[in-house]
Amino acid sequence: MRSESARMSSASEALFRIGSPNSRPRAVKVIALDAGSEPVVADLAERHWNGAAFFTAADLTSDPARLREEISAADLVVMVATAGESPHEVALIGECCSRTRVTTTGLVMCDEKTSDEVLSVTLGRLRPWMLMLVVASSSDYIEDMLLALRA
Amino acid sequence: MLKKEQNDLLTHTGPGAPMGQLFRRSWLPALLAEELPEAECAPVRVKLLSERLLAWRDTEGRYALTDEFCAHRGVSLWFGRNEEHGLRCSYHGWKYDHTGQCVEVPSEPAESGFCGKIKLASYPLVERGGVLWAYMGPPELQPPLPEWEFATVPSDRRFVSKRLQESNWMQALEGAIDSSHVSFLHRGELNTDPLFKGSKGNRYNLDDARPVFEVVESPGGLYIGARRNAEHGNYYWRVTQWVMPSFTMIPPRGDHPVHGHFFIPIDDEQCWTWSFDYKVMRPLAEQELESLRAGKGIHVACVPGTFRPRANKDNDYLMDRAAQKRGETFSGVHGFGMQDASVQESMGPIVDRTKENLVSTDNGIIMARHRLLRSVKAMLDKDVTPPGIDPVHQRCRSASVVLPPDQPFKDAAKAALVVQDDHEHVTV
Repeated sequence: MRSESARMSSASEALFRIGSPNSRPRAVKVIALDAGSEPVVADLAERHWNGAAFFTAADLTSDPARLREEISAADLVVMVATAGESPHEVALIGECCSRTRVTTTGLVMCDEKTSDEVLSVTLGRLRPWMLMLVVASSSDYIEDMLLALRA
Repeated sequence: MLKKEQNDLLTHTGPGAPMGQLFRRSWLPALLAEELPEAECAPVRVKLLSERLLAWRDTEGRYALTDEFCAHRGVSLWFGRNEEHGLRCSYHGWKYDHTGQCVEVPSEPAESGFCGKIKLASYPLVERGGVLWAYMGPPELQPPLPEWEFATVPSDRRFVSKRLQESNWMQALEGAIDSSHVSFLHRGELNTDPLFKGSKGNRYNLDDARPVFEVVESPGGLYIGARRNAEHGNYYWRVTQWVMPSFTMIPPRGDHPVHGHFFIPIDDEQCWTWSFDYKVMRPLAEQELESLRAGKGIHVACVPGTFRPRANKDNDYLMDRAAQKRGETFSGVHGFGMQDASVQESMGPIVDRTKENLVSTDNGIIMARHRLLRSVKAMLDKDVTPPGIDPVHQRCRSASVVLPPDQPFKDAAKAALVVQDDHEHVTV
């Protein structure tokens, strides 16, 4: 006789998994930290999302009340930077996320020509504020990541 | 979350499937060398990438990996006679050489040349590092032999095993990329397993249960760095290597052997989990070998004479609720390998990734999928060679290291992440 584990992990039993949604849309805030990342984030903002909102760092840091409001309503804050840049705003945004216990992810865009030294500058700036840092060689990764996270 | 068509693309590896084509560009671990110990030994059935094959050695000891079935009436050649430079079908005596070429059809006059028109599909099979590697791709694109470090050290410095996993290969791979499950699923074993316990790194692991991750593309795949707090404001980094399509190397702990995996599709609902342990500069100690053979560390104890784990889905993985309650194991299943396999098999043969809810710490998995999908597309559309095939990509290492807070692991541990001849892994 087959064990429960054997029977329940079969393909035929998979058909009986409950099909109703198992999550509600989450609030993801995507923030371009520098001039290089702004067009990438602006381009993403044009697409259809499940509630993701897109900003430039200047949008938020120039208005502390708005920054607090947006961050406190977020489930996840994704900050996008370009390798070689050293965006100062990350500290303000990161601190706000830290105070409100909002998870942060940093994405650094680079290409094959980016040297480790250049990359280090940006990583060093972002690292204190990120729970997850990703270095991606193509900007289409950001879209894939947001889709994977149901943003 | 993935769209259904993306999930299908990643998980289907049979003939003609794009991911199958990507696998076919690499040398794949197919058998342990000990499975074919000598010339004219018994043939072994092998299923790889949804193809039924037969591995055998001819009178001269040459390795063969051919279609399992006789071209005549479809009889399995596993019942064949391995004799005089070929494998003869036991039904009507058709005989094949190590390349799959039919060399004799007893019912036909030899002068007719009929047997010259019959040839079974066959693939190159070579021994390296105690493993028999198969290449199932286009002959003109056959890469250089594998250069994984464990396969190049003297035989007394490594231990290799394989086990059947009853799930799609991607479930197994994603488990190996996902470092954040260690603090839960494996927490009981860190302090007790003879191949893990006692390293200083374990203390960092257990003292800081909320690691911070950095995922960086490497030439062959990904570096996945997990950062934990160490003394004096420094960081303890554990850097896992993933090399496409399915090699992973786990960061070392103290002077213990370094280990890692390959996950090789048998078909779309089963895979081989290959596990290796090795040291660069010293033979494995007898005590270490005893533990490895007993299924400790990342290896598992198998049903004698098979590669099926002793704890498997048919016996509920020997679930031990009392040990779970006592805190000896987190899930109630014993051993790293079966803890992984049990949860991954419970997801079903091919998990429906349209229903998952990934979080930020899953970025390693998200990036691995992204790279695989992108590489398949580049291979099919532009003939771009996938990462991981170049031997340079294979000469990589994992590392565990304590670094000042301002140093990125990719820079500071650069030398530690590639093979350094005559040096052990960098480890804490």
